[in-house]
Amino acid sequence: MEHFEPEIVAFCCHYCAYTAADMAGSKRISYPSNVKIIRVPCSGKVDAIHLMKALEKGADGVYVAGCLAGDCHFKNGNVRAEARVNRVRKLLTELGWEPERVAMYNMSAGMGEAFAQVAKEFTETIKKLGPNPGRTGAVDKAAS
Amino acid sequence: MQMNQNSENILSKDRRVLVIGGGVGGIRAALDLAESRRNVLLIDKSYAIGGLMTQLDRTFPTNNCDLCTVSPHLSQGGREKYLEIKPMTCLTGLTGEAGAFSATLMTEPRYIDTEKCTACGECAKQFPDAVRFTPGLDPRAPTCMRYPQATPFAFSIDMSKITDVEALKKVCKAGAILPEDQPKKTVMDVASVVLSMGADLFDPNVLDNFGGGRFDNVVTGLEYERIMSASGPFQGNLVRKSDGKRPKKVAWIQCVGSRGINRADVPYCSSVCCMYALKEAMVTKERFGEDIETTIFFMDMRTHGKGYEEYYNRARDEYNVRMVRSRPHTILEKPDTKNLSIAYAVEDKSVQQNEEFDMVVLSTGFRVNSETKALAQNLGIQLNEHDFAESDHFNPVLTSRPGVYVCGVYESPKDIPETMVQASAAAAMAATNLPVSSAGLNGEDMFPPERDITGEDPRIGVFVCDCGFEIGGVLNVANVLDAVKTRPDVVVAEPVGYGCSSESMAKIEVMITKHKLNRVVIGGCSPRTHETKFQDLLRRVGLNRYLVEMVNLRDQNTWTHMNEPEKAQEKAVKLLQVGIAGVRTNHPLREHTLPMNQNALVVGGGVTGMTAALKLADQGIKTYIVERAPSLGGLARSLRKTIEGDDVAPFVQNLVDAVTAHSNIQVLTRSVIVDHSGMPGLFKTGIQTGVRMNYMQIDHGVTILATGALANRPPQYGLGTIDNVMTQLDMDSLLADEPEKVQAMDQIVMIQCVGSREEGNPNCSRICCQAAVKNALKIKAISPDTEVFILYRDMRTYGFLEDYYRKARDLGVKFIRFSLENRPRVRQDDGELVVGTHDYVLDSDIDIAADCVVLSTGLVADDENTEDLALMFHLPRTEDHYFLEDHVKLRPVDMAQRGFFLAGTAHSPKVIRECITQAQAAAGRAQTMLAKKEINLGACVAVVDEKKCASCLICVRVCPFDVPFINADGVSQIDADKCHGCGVCAGECPAKAIQLLAYEDDQILAKLDGLFER
Repeated sequence: MEHFEPEIVAFCCHYCAYTAADMAGSKRISYPSNVKIIRVPCSGKVDAIHLMKALEKGADGVYVAGCLAGDCHFKNGNVRAEARVNRVRKLLTELGWEPERVAMYNMSAGMGEAFAQVAKEFTETIKKLGPNPGRTGAVDKAAS
Repeated sequence: MQMNQNSENILSKDRRVLVIGGGVGGIRAALDLAESRRNVLLIDKSYAIGGLMTQLDRTFPTNNCDLCTVSPHLSQGGREKYLEIKPMTCLTGLTGEAGAFSATLMTEPRYIDTEKCTACGECAKQFPDAVRFTPGLDPRAPTCMRYPQATPFAFSIDMSKITDVEALKKVCKAGAILPEDQPKKTVMDVASVVLSMGADLFDPNVLDNFGGGRFDNVVTGLEYERIMSASGPFQGNLVRKSDGKRPKKVAWIQCVGSRGINRADVPYCSSVCCMYALKEAMVTKERFGEDIETTIFFMDMRTHGKGYEEYYNRARDEYNVRMVRSRPHTILEKPDTKNLSIAYAVEDKSVQQNEEFDMVVLSTGFRVNSETKALAQNLGIQLNEHDFAESDHFNPVLTSRPGVYVCGVYESPKDIPETMVQASAAAAMAATNLPVSSAGLNGEDMFPPERDITGEDPRIGVFVCDCGFEIGGVLNVANVLDAVKTRPDVVVAEPVGYGCSSESMAKIEVMITKHKLNRVVIGGCSPRTHETKFQDLLRRVGLNRYLVEMVNLRDQNTWTHMNEPEKAQEKAVKLLQVGIAGVRTNHPLREHTLPMNQNALVVGGGVTGMTAALKLADQGIKTYIVERAPSLGGLARSLRKTIEGDDVAPFVQNLVDAVTAHSNIQVLTRSVIVDHSGMPGLFKTGIQTGVRMNYMQIDHGVTILATGALANRPPQYGLGTIDNVMTQLDMDSLLADEPEKVQAMDQIVMIQCVGSREEGNPNCSRICCQAAVKNALKIKAISPDTEVFILYRDMRTYGFLEDYYRKARDLGVKFIRFSLENRPRVRQDDGELVVGTHDYVLDSDIDIAADCVVLSTGLVADDENTEDLALMFHLPRTEDHYFLEDHVKLRPVDMAQRGFFLAGTAHSPKVIRECITQAQAAAGRAQTMLAKKEINLGACVAVVDEKKCASCLICVRVCPFDVPFINADGVSQIDADKCHGCGVCAGECPAKAIQLLAYEDDQILAKLDGLFER
């Protein structure tokens, strides 16, 4: 379990979270390389299907990162995203999966540190949870 | 001196502006003019444009690589159709008057036809001594090198070194050699001229005490930049010249040749050296080892720019850069080790110390060179005592000759952001009354028609930049490419050096054509900054611009995982897989446009807001000023004199009168903004105005934020509780209204940095040092016997303000330094005001009796106001509540949200003349946007599949902008012209009948597939 390196997908909105990730880079702040970003125009674009499919395809954790509350470039896409993430978490619980594998975070474009912090926290959480239950044999693969 | 404050009436025969100097300032000015559709000619004496910035390794305060930030501007420079560039060209004469100048230009022979030259490098290979500029690495001395992204991208030949011309001609397959090339004289009509010649850096070799030029391991700041630079003499490896070893102990000496009175010194401050020394020290540790000891010897640390104080704190506290307050006397070289011994004394110890270093960097400042002095003569403009262009006190881009404008370092020493601001301001002034060119409006017509790729199988090209060391220093690019080139549909996978350079762009274009590619993946920096460049590249070869995916290998990989190269390598491969899988599903998309509203909204009616409004209104743009106070004028109303001695009140009144009388300006005082909607180019802003708070709505295409800042009045040192403790603003008024009260005072104590550079407000307020010196000089002028003490932490009289600081010392004003740990104490002894402080030179505590204590309290952001507006307009702010511009270095007045521009103290603290310049810059930038006349809405819009739509109304309910509706056919309809492209409807649609173009479900799922491919 010690050597488990999770695969993590972060759906980041163009205006805040993706910019914050670039900011973390320009300040040379490190965070786990497990996190791979997929850019979306708004966190509100991220469909429940995208979250579920990411887990199905092999992600050990997925999170959506959008603008701060009240700061969404598209007014309230981040609120919609959060509601969707909560629905998916409920669904996971019903399926017997850990709901913590899916999460929502908010940050502003200037918050490079916050981006790195979130990436670290989420990666730690997933490391504790272990591999995606749908990914049999994933532990051996990751450890090899 | 007041030259001619506002716009001048220029009647133009020819609609051309001449910009002299192709550094970043000249490029910015030329691009602004071209973008606002004015014909412009940019000339530079060098064979490639780019100036000083292209020689720098990284720039403060972001520590980004300069080439990456400059090169988009340069390639843009080569592209704009209103812009012509003439390198190797000088101005030899300028006759006539504003609006109708006749300029005589002399172009040196290049001996190469730039149209034919492909920069293949054959001639340089065969005739290395005679060919100027090798793209990439040049083994010659550091300062003669240029950069690999040069514009124009062509060679230049020194014909005097060629003996066999035929042999040279034979070498060139393109037939670009022109042995008969002659100097060319051109006479042309120009309407106005923008000067941006910059300055050279001081050559310390003329000093005999620092060993510059004699000791191998003593270098200038610029040479150090070249050593660290990936395109430098050691390929970006920090080593000593004497033995090729990495130094373990590096020292910087500040103010070499500056702020001095000795033989080779100049008295002024160059404004940028403190920041660049901090940057070089930090980058040294970041890139070459945290164990390298870095020491900066300085007199005053001048980090007065926006966010710069935090940068200084970071260097000292996080990077452990050692700061020694001292001006070293000499450097001696140890003959055996070639190490350097610095002799210096610190202020609280009278003995001299010696310390040994492996390498010493001399922080040298700006000097106007002799060519520029000669040019000034040809131009007939006045120079100041330091040989820089004399500029107007209230409007620094005006020279003494109407129609000739100045920007950048040639106006006064300044850093890149300030140069950019001044360049945009000078461009805006030069464009005044210059009609826009009637040439075609649509940018797309420059591109060939799009190739129809329907029915073609995907043919993907993967190109990875090494971006100097930024990517290539962390990743093994060849291995990354090996890992991805076997992916399905990948036809070619190649490294491309600096992908954004014209050379690499041309290479990619050739590959696309040669391999019949119809999809492209670029692995490089962030799509946020460079996607447009590569989209344009695709358009140039006839492909739709949505057939490219940019993979962020730098900002989100090598920069964050620089210490874990193996993980970065693995992540890079996966990210490229994501890009490849994604691009495979991309298909051509069409962009939508709408006519742009041509009105402007200026928020704030201070000097900044009024200046910007006038500039726009003079161009025929209907402008609204919204001011919450009952009258115009802002903070400048409480200011009496500038440091130059000009009265502020009449200046402000003139502005108010001009604004009030202008037929294109509507002033709305007692007005607050209550709602805001729309999109860039088509905004709607609701305001409540007047005593009755009537509601009205303004339609506008652009918005300028000029909301100002607040005069700080922190309850420190007895301010507000002890009589005779006042602020510099109070003293300014007292000097103007009741000078006799000041004359009656024996001793006055001023305290700097009150409420600034400390917890709660960590940044420097920039204006206070000059305000203290200004008032001290005024006090000395009316009452020479009054003793003035200024208690300071660092005197930040940047640029030519240093002259006033020196004058104050000459007049006997006493400057006593204090530290944050040991602040002055203000107390009352039997009703007498006493200031206690520690004197570091005497090394003892002293008491100063004071008739009055003047606190330099500076400015603070108007938190409440900026917060409200930031929420309403969706704009970012800095941690200390000022508005945050899009790019601190290159886009200092543009906000990230298109259509918003920023000026004045709402950006950061600054003096009036700087506010005015920024206001003109913001107005100029706003005009470049309005000149496009239409808004490109992009192609990222939601589309409905009518067959799947169940008319459930969910999209109608969730759209943040109320765009979808159920049409006559009973299905949801989303108008592309109105859609903002967030995709919320697509995310919620239960039938999956809605897709957001460019982010369609199968594209996102394909990216996930790419990530988990094994």
